[in-house]
Amino acid sequence: MTLHQPLVPQMQRSIGAACVALVAGQPRARLTALDQSGSARIMLPALDKVPEVVILNTGGGLAGGDRLSYSIDIGAGLVARATTQTAERAYRSTGATARVDLAMTVGAGGWLDWLPQETILYQGARLHRRTRIDLAAGSGVMMAEMIVLGRAAMGEVVTDVALTDRREVWRDGHVVALDVLRLDAAALATGAAGLNGARALAALWLVCNGAEDMVAPLRAAVPEAGISALPGRLMLRAATRDAPALRALMARALQTLRQTRALPRVWQM
Amino acid sequence: MTDLLRLAHWLSPAFPTGGFAYSHGLEAAIASGDVRNANHLEHWLFDILTHGAGRNDACLLRAALDPLADHAALDAMARALCGTAERLTETVDQGTAFARTVAAITGRALPPRAFPVTVGEAACTLDLPTETVVGLYLHAMVTTLATGAIRFMPLGQTEGHGVIARLAPTIARIAALPLSLDDLGSAAIGAEIAAMRHETLDVRIFRT
Repeated sequence: MTLHQPLVPQMQRSIGAACVALVAGQPRARLTALDQSGSARIMLPALDKVPEVVILNTGGGLAGGDRLSYSIDIGAGLVARATTQTAERAYRSTGATARVDLAMTVGAGGWLDWLPQETILYQGARLHRRTRIDLAAGSGVMMAEMIVLGRAAMGEVVTDVALTDRREVWRDGHVVALDVLRLDAAALATGAAGLNGARALAALWLVCNGAEDMVAPLRAAVPEAGISALPGRLMLRAATRDAPALRALMARALQTLRQTRALPRVWQM
Repeated sequence: MTDLLRLAHWLSPAFPTGGFAYSHGLEAAIASGDVRNANHLEHWLFDILTHGAGRNDACLLRAALDPLADHAALDAMARALCGTAERLTETVDQGTAFARTVAAITGRALPPRAFPVTVGEAACTLDLPTETVVGLYLHAMVTTLATGAIRFMPLGQTEGHGVIARLAPTIARIAALPLSLDDLGSAAIGAEIAAMRHETLDVRIFRT
């Protein structure tokens, strides 16, 4: 195993699909569907008042040609949290692109925190990911994602990847937020209008009634990030030289959101 | 030739679209010192063209040039793509002004939409190659931003117009790409954060 070319056996291809559906119940949420096949897994460590859904790729990282899909349905009035078990690693691919599809729905009056661990792109990684969240009336979502280019601790300098990372939020069948991060060798070399040497990127979205009220406290807490809002939709973007700086920044942003009373109880825990 | 002149008119700085009022985050980048001279400006605009709103607008405009396109759906997509409040203002206000004027002078009904979508909807009746429409659109974008920068930063007319001239091959290259909605995507993180920071600048000349 060399530094720049992690050993990923040629034959290893992870294919998998997993879906879970949870509905609100007393005294705790109820599981109404759980299907999983191949390398895609869903774990439910606890069906507490705020159930947590943990998704997992047993293939241990993404290689070219992998295809994974996950779907998470959160029932009306249920507050839930979803994350990944580990940081997702996308390895070098000489040809095929790894594909990951995430589809989440939140029923009327429900809430989902989608807080996956960071995605680490190795030199030469090829990844196409699509995250779609469908919101019903009165529901909301908070999503925070981090992309890290290379393993800085190992001195890896990433100069080429092929990433298309598409995020979209729909409400009542209308697209309300859409963002596509597209990185290739030329994009990694962009200047002040682009990456400007940044190797860790984050995006945080809050889509819910009153999301715009969080702009001022967030700006005060993370002045180095870009923050803006439209009615019902808040966007935060940050870019740093390395992952630790970004993690610290995002921790401050999440902490600020948790302290507010404007958000569901989950934030005050 | 007549159709080319029509499009040149619609996309000229004289057309009452109000493009001069928007800097697309550039004012914040000048204020922060990221853009201080002609080289910086050229690099900034190059990145916007190749990895930012230039490329994304080209995707949307190409899709909107199809007369059978669902322009309302494209408009919703263009609005959802705006990652900041001012970006939405910029594209919707320009698109609305553009649609109103083209509708008034052509007699066609053109609803207010995001700028690249409304330009595509208006231009789809013109007998022009797609590449030409996209090229003129991107050229107008670059010209508007560069001439705005000339007014705001210590940059001479000649230097500023040199930047526009040097970007012509890049504009032509992006205009020739067979981009579709599947190609949407941006890496213009710095420009996006600058557009967000613009909202809190103490002194602002531009609306974005």
